Amino acid sequence: MERIHQGRTVDRGRPTRRGVLRTGGLLLGALSAPALLSACGTNAAADGAGNVLRVSQPGDPKTLDPQKQGDMVSMNVLINMFDTLTTRGRDNQLHPRLALSWKATDARTWRFTLRPGVTFHNGEACDARAVAFSIERLLDPATKSPIVELRYVKGVRVVDRLTVDVHTTVHDPILPAKLSLFGGVILPPRHLSEAGDAAFAEHPVGTGPFTFVSWRRDHELRMRAYADHWNGRPSVDGLVFSPAPNASSSLAALQSGGVDLVAGLTPDAAEQLDGYSGVTLDGYTGIRTSYLSLNTLERGPLQDRRVRQALNHAIDVPLLIKAVLGGKATETPALVPRGAFGFDPTVKPFTRSLETARTLLAEAGHPHGFSTALTASNVDSNVAEALSGLLARVGVRARVNLLDPGTYATRLTSDNRGALGPIYLAASTVWTMDGQSIVQSNVRSDRRQSRWHSKEADRLIDIEELSESPTKRKQAFSDLQRLMRQEAPFVFLYQLDNIFARNDRPRWTPGSAGVLAMESAEVSC
Amino acid sequence: MSALTLDKPPTPADTASRHRDTARLLRTVLRRLGTALFVLLCTATVSFFLVRLSGDPVKILLPPDATAHQESVLRASLGLDRPLFTQYLDYLWGLPRLDLGDSLVYGQPVSEILADRLPATIELAAAALAVTLVIAIPAGIFAAMRRGRRSDHTVMTGVLLGQSTPPFWVGILLILVFAVWLQALPASGYGTFANLVLPAVTLAVYSVAVVARLLRSSLIDVLSSDHIRSSRAKGFGPLKVVLRHGLRNASLPVVTVIGLEVGNLLGGAILTERVFSWPGVGQLTVEAISNRDFPLVQATVLFFAATFVVVNLLVDLSYSFLDPRVRTSR
Repeated sequence: MERIHQGRTVDRGRPTRRGVLRTGGLLLGALSAPALLSACGTNAAADGAGNVLRVSQPGDPKTLDPQKQGDMVSMNVLINMFDTLTTRGRDNQLHPRLALSWKATDARTWRFTLRPGVTFHNGEACDARAVAFSIERLLDPATKSPIVELRYVKGVRVVDRLTVDVHTTVHDPILPAKLSLFGGVILPPRHLSEAGDAAFAEHPVGTGPFTFVSWRRDHELRMRAYADHWNGRPSVDGLVFSPAPNASSSLAALQSGGVDLVAGLTPDAAEQLDGYSGVTLDGYTGIRTSYLSLNTLERGPLQDRRVRQALNHAIDVPLLIKAVLGGKATETPALVPRGAFGFDPTVKPFTRSLETARTLLAEAGHPHGFSTALTASNVDSNVAEALSGLLARVGVRARVNLLDPGTYATRLTSDNRGALGPIYLAASTVWTMDGQSIVQSNVRSDRRQSRWHSKEADRLIDIEELSESPTKRKQAFSDLQRLMRQEAPFVFLYQLDNIFARNDRPRWTPGSAGVLAMESAEVSC
Repeated sequence: MSALTLDKPPTPADTASRHRDTARLLRTVLRRLGTALFVLLCTATVSFFLVRLSGDPVKILLPPDATAHQESVLRASLGLDRPLFTQYLDYLWGLPRLDLGDSLVYGQPVSEILADRLPATIELAAAALAVTLVIAIPAGIFAAMRRGRRSDHTVMTGVLLGQSTPPFWVGILLILVFAVWLQALPASGYGTFANLVLPAVTLAVYSVAVVARLLRSSLIDVLSSDHIRSSRAKGFGPLKVVLRHGLRNASLPVVTVIGLEVGNLLGGAILTERVFSWPGVGQLTVEAISNRDFPLVQATVLFFAATFVVVNLLVDLSYSFLDPRVRTSR
């Protein structure tokens, strides 16, 4: 009932666009009103209150076992039912969650002190044993976990009831950050051993702010506020997640009052929603960072540093952001996004001068440009075509080669570093908020996607990856970004905003990673 | 045919002929069943090898920065490291026991996932069939009775327009009008009658066209035959003539095509389910394909193939029951 009331209020406030059609549709509206009323009535009854937040995102969770998924869409749902050891605050700093404090006791050990008095939704205590159990389950090959963040973890030792030591094979400076999402979810050991994996995945039990109610795959997942949560009961009584695979259906759901908040919108999808009354678009600086990878290992123009610099000058990123992404992105000067550890604001982006680009190309022996290919996943087709157009202005004729996302992913991770051609468009979500996330598989010469060999870069990455001192790491990141800015093994592009469309009900602010943790959300009825 | 023989006691020749008929029918049924199984085996084989050409699911399951070691561990635990032919034999061996394997992404048995989604798809197809019958039969009769007039042309143009418009486009149009502008019906979702209306109408648009056009031409055929002319001569009104004499005679091809449309409705749900976020088998198929979830793709492809095969089989067999000419011509 609350929902109907709300929907009608918004309706009245809306200027009468398509007035004719609306009048014509009054009869139809009246005819279907009873069905609609009963639909909302039952929904409200099932929740026990009208204080429910309905969120839609592009997909549905793959599974409700948090250790058997590795994608953000699943995590966005699960993070509301499970807690992690650490968490990333709105200030981009790492904050305590199930762990109250942590420190490196030696180069290969992180010690975590746990929050006392935390219980799972079934009453089971969340203690050091649960933490050890969770990490060991994640590492066990039998779990078939696609989560890779704990790759350096060798084992876990329970020190006392509220203390655990995590042992690693190398020094892992960002381990606490890795435990803020996928790697850090804590599961109930007793319940899992009694109920088994299959039952657990059907009815997950965590320590999180919401408890599981029901899930109808590809339709909706319902949760209820957990009154005994250690951080207090959430403000909303219930949470409903539903998938909306395309932007037009999420827009329709939002406008017809089916959902309150739409997440995971791409900039061009957001453009479609812009300007409708009753729909507000919120954009927050995000950390999904895009770049072009240039193959400097194969013979060709890209081996010449001047050519690579020319490409960086030719691609006018601010123009691209304005024209193609509706302004919903921020330029990144040298791969590491702002907000992440290691970002150096003193490294300036290229000047975006066609003149400079042409001069550099001429100096490198390509006064009339050259022909090449630009590969991208077809979800990024707009951006890829725009990039090709920008390159054409300086005579670089880049044929756009679009692949379906699956083929693209296969080639990206294949042993053949040239599988995606001389230039490909890629993006990485730096959710650990540490520069290492984006650098790790792209730069050091022995890494899978590295297409640039530099002894100096390798040395800086070793410092950045293995030092215990944050100051040394920060310095290494700064030096590395200056070097990359100079050598230009990539065309540095932008970090995408997290875009949300909502109606007038919800009040909620996401963090940089854009994770849909709804603990702090409020709705007005 | 038995009604004819009831008038007088059956002669031995009649009995023998009936036995021959039964034996022939049985042979037809068995032959049809054999063909159906062969078609399903082919579908299973082709889908098995085709999905494996499409790419590596492990690459999609793991983030791009996973190590080669992590990939091989996951690949082994999913059983994808075994020789292709072993996997194929395993798959075939499971089929008769309805063991379709475990989903790579969801981790649970594919048959369970499929069974979970099936009701939604059947519900949608049934609703679409109901919409089809309610619209197509009156439209076909109406057009046949007004053959050649402007109203006939109007109805048939509308129907043709429906047949030539892709379902996803119809769906988006309906969402725009009824959900966004009029706010009369929900744009997506599942569970209530209101949720069902738009997807069912979308799915029905094509079938309405097929059935209405066939009914019209079939009726026109029948209406020009002698016995209709004589019943007209008896002074029956035109509607009564059509309903009492015309429709019954025109119904055989129409019933057949409606049967085939059931298969189309179940299979055609893929795009419609996508547009309306309908949690059925079609939506599941799309997800499975983009996830490279081999066992799930195989199972959904097999499911759609099986519905077509079964519907065709039933239609074929009903032919030989309903129309003696089909039987004796074999």
